[in-house]
Amino acid sequence: MSIELLKASHVTKRFGALAAVNDVSYTLREHEVAGIIGSNGAGKTTFFNLLTGLYTPDSGSIHYRGTDITRDTPQQRVAHGVMRTFQLTSTFDNLTVIDNLVLAFFRAHRKSSLLQLFLNTCKQHRNNDKIAEVLETFDLRDLRDREVRNLSLGEKRRLEIAMTMLAEPKVLLLDEPLAGLAESEIQAVLAILRRQVGQQTILIVEHKLSHVKEFLQRLTVMHEGRIIAEGGYEECMNHPEVRRSYWQIDVDAEAAAQAAP
Amino acid sequence: MNRGPTLRKAWAWWWGILLAFMLIAGMRLVLPLPFVNEILIFSIYAIGCSFLLGKVGFISFGQPAYLAVGAYATAFYLFYFGTNPYIGILWGLAAGCAAALLVGPLFVRLRSDYFALVNLALAVIVFYLMQKVLAPITKGDNGLWFLTNMTSTPVLDITQPQQFFIFAFLVGLVVWAFYKYLDDTIFGACCLATKINEDKLQFLGYSNFRIRLAAFVIANTTTALAGSLYAVYLGAVSPEITAPSRTADPVIVILLGGVGTLYGPIVGSVAYTGMKDVISKLIGNWEMVIGPLLVIIMLAGEKGIWGTLEPWLKNVLFRRRNTAADDRDEAR
Repeated sequence: MSIELLKASHVTKRFGALAAVNDVSYTLREHEVAGIIGSNGAGKTTFFNLLTGLYTPDSGSIHYRGTDITRDTPQQRVAHGVMRTFQLTSTFDNLTVIDNLVLAFFRAHRKSSLLQLFLNTCKQHRNNDKIAEVLETFDLRDLRDREVRNLSLGEKRRLEIAMTMLAEPKVLLLDEPLAGLAESEIQAVLAILRRQVGQQTILIVEHKLSHVKEFLQRLTVMHEGRIIAEGGYEECMNHPEVRRSYWQIDVDAEAAAQAAP
Repeated sequence: MNRGPTLRKAWAWWWGILLAFMLIAGMRLVLPLPFVNEILIFSIYAIGCSFLLGKVGFISFGQPAYLAVGAYATAFYLFYFGTNPYIGILWGLAAGCAAALLVGPLFVRLRSDYFALVNLALAVIVFYLMQKVLAPITKGDNGLWFLTNMTSTPVLDITQPQQFFIFAFLVGLVVWAFYKYLDDTIFGACCLATKINEDKLQFLGYSNFRIRLAAFVIANTTTALAGSLYAVYLGAVSPEITAPSRTADPVIVILLGGVGTLYGPIVGSVAYTGMKDVISKLIGNWEMVIGPLLVIIMLAGEKGIWGTLEPWLKNVLFRRRNTAADDRDEAR
């Protein structure tokens, strides 16, 4: 039985009267690739924000390897190895591709104190082997010295995932990694994700299910802040509550039609 | 041992700074000493503000507060306690650093617009403290006069305007080398990163607060250093240095020169001090010229004088260099 890496217990987050996440319990195991789906406003991103420390839950708790991290800041969670990407691609557009990677590398591998930030120059780390490897893997070598503001959305997405991978996280949370990408760019990102299966613990929020279902080991469906189904892909897709809420199929009418002679 | 590449690297790093300061030294040959001294001090005053706005994204209308802290700390020492201007300057530096460390943890948590306003409020508070509340020790509007208290110093006697110029020149050189080094560091990259995407920086594990606080302390300690230099150069300090009407001065200088550029504060200081000097002699109300000029600069792309010239100069210099290299290759 693999280790429980990240565990949310009865987590609730309210915005005024609206419970964006309502009494959700969820466990992510080591080396598992799991997915969360749900219609807009289902609470997926809020749940992500709770797991990564952008929000603090109103009630409930979050544990990482048995340690309570409910009140930990995002930086403290990053120190544990919990990292994320954002729904809207999040990079440093005023820096070059290589300096984005240097920043990701430096914090993860040098455990940098403020003094270290002053004593090290970007130039010293630009030719680091690990960074060179990531540039190659993510097909960013030709874009190395280009300012990120001049990249396409797909290139930025690859860079964002490359930055997170460079930090060698224990848990990687990907918030809609395929959103807004062209088909060729989607295939490039999928190829990267495929390589991580079995080596990395990954939680993906994604609408483009057909693209990610091949390597999802477990799927969770959220609706109106609650988990309504959990299990294998087929199991979830055939769940009556999912068919009703997510696919908006009139399950009762369908059952009545099937029952009719 | 072949030292060629090392020297070339060192030259490549220094040449811009050396060229800028050689031009300032050249200005000393043709322009009056007070004018050049004022440019040097004003550039040091403005570079902290330029760093905060250009690299961290914080606009500050309260720089005169930190200028005054440095100037008054130096003045208090030279008026009440001692006579060595170098020690006075060290007091000014320490006071500027302490003041930034005191208010910084509160201010750097704010959004840029509120940051601008609280700094403006601080400048007004410091002005009234120096003018009224602390009048028994600051001598109110009359200010502190200590020109005759200062004793001559060995090697470089900064009580003499000519030698003060050399000292300010060397200080400026060190300050610019320091800010150029900062640009190259991981810290410099973090400053640019926190300006544009603080969430991402946080999720890489960096502390936005610590980076901003460090930038704030560095910038305002530099501003306090400029205040100390003013105090020693003039031999007097009055509340006028932090008057509410002066709060926008460094912002105007860096907008003129080019926000966030290394040489913008120098170019801006030359332009600002020059215009003030020349235009006020010609038409009196020099603000009537500088106001519309700023509007034009903002409308023309917010790059300022140096921000506009820099790409053009690089293009000319590097294209020439590349052409020369191509010619050499062809000759081979």
